[in-house]
Amino acid sequence: MPAASAIHTLIVDDQASMRALIRTSLQDLGFREFREAGDGEIALREMIARPAHLIISDFNMPNLDGLGLLRAVRAHPPTSRAAFIMLTGRADRELVQRAVQFGVNNYLVKPFTVAQLKEKLETVFGPLT
Amino acid sequence: MTLAAHADAGQANTGMRRVHVGQGEHVVTGDASVMLTTVLGSCVAMCLRDPVIGVGGMNHFLLPDGVGTGANAARRYGAYAMEVLINDCLKMGARREQLEAKLFGGGRMFNTLRDVGGANADFAEQFLRDEGIRLVGGSLRGAGGRRVQYWPATGRALQRAVTDSAALPEMKTVLAPAAVPDAGAVELF
Repeated sequence: MPAASAIHTLIVDDQASMRALIRTSLQDLGFREFREAGDGEIALREMIARPAHLIISDFNMPNLDGLGLLRAVRAHPPTSRAAFIMLTGRADRELVQRAVQFGVNNYLVKPFTVAQLKEKLETVFGPLT
Repeated sequence: MTLAAHADAGQANTGMRRVHVGQGEHVVTGDASVMLTTVLGSCVAMCLRDPVIGVGGMNHFLLPDGVGTGANAARRYGAYAMEVLINDCLKMGARREQLEAKLFGGGRMFNTLRDVGGANADFAEQFLRDEGIRLVGGSLRGAGGRRVQYWPATGRALQRAVTDSAALPEMKTVLAPAAVPDAGAVELF
């Protein structure tokens, strides 16, 4: 049963307001350690420099999208074991199937509630304290 | 959604196509003959375009205020409504740093304690500030509803009061393209 406060998280989204909302939601669940990236390329550099336990990433982003980030993270041994939750829109069901093929741990459809985020996190980490 | 996926495009005699954007919807187009229209009460519509490539669109949203939703839940919903419009513009070639927006709506429809329209307007303005997207005009708040027409290719916007025209606030204009006469309506640059 991991402590949410011990999980280091990288939040990846090209919208600053969405990153802030994800951060606030995670704080509500007891998370305390965050870093943020505005696209997949920046996120990958962040992960290589200092791997996080959890990546919560949007799909639609410039430079490197969420799927590209997922593939790159999974291909790089120091980062390959990070939990990866993909944020998708309502129309992105095909994307989810592709993300599953590339090793995504779970996905969350926007707009989401804190309860839905918690449920997805707990399928990955088990009950959070 | 992009216009090709929108089934409700009406063809006017002038060759101008009028497309209605309903609550919870968004439409993006690069077609210069398209005029987007919507009717707003306490809802807000963001009219967004990249003036360099002539692609743009409109959304129409109302932040939820039901049981089980707090301020954060409402912001998550609103941010998503904005994101899908922005993303569809980007998919059609728009560049984020070139985007400009006009905001309409957020009217106070009922004399109740909670100003739903004001909350929608506050959210939309804050969103644009947070995202660094230029707000170049529009009309927010006031009392009563408004019908909005928007031409994404040129950025021209037109507002007409649905209820009491005197209750709508003065138009804000940051950019000033040529005015087009239209009796009974207020030209927004």
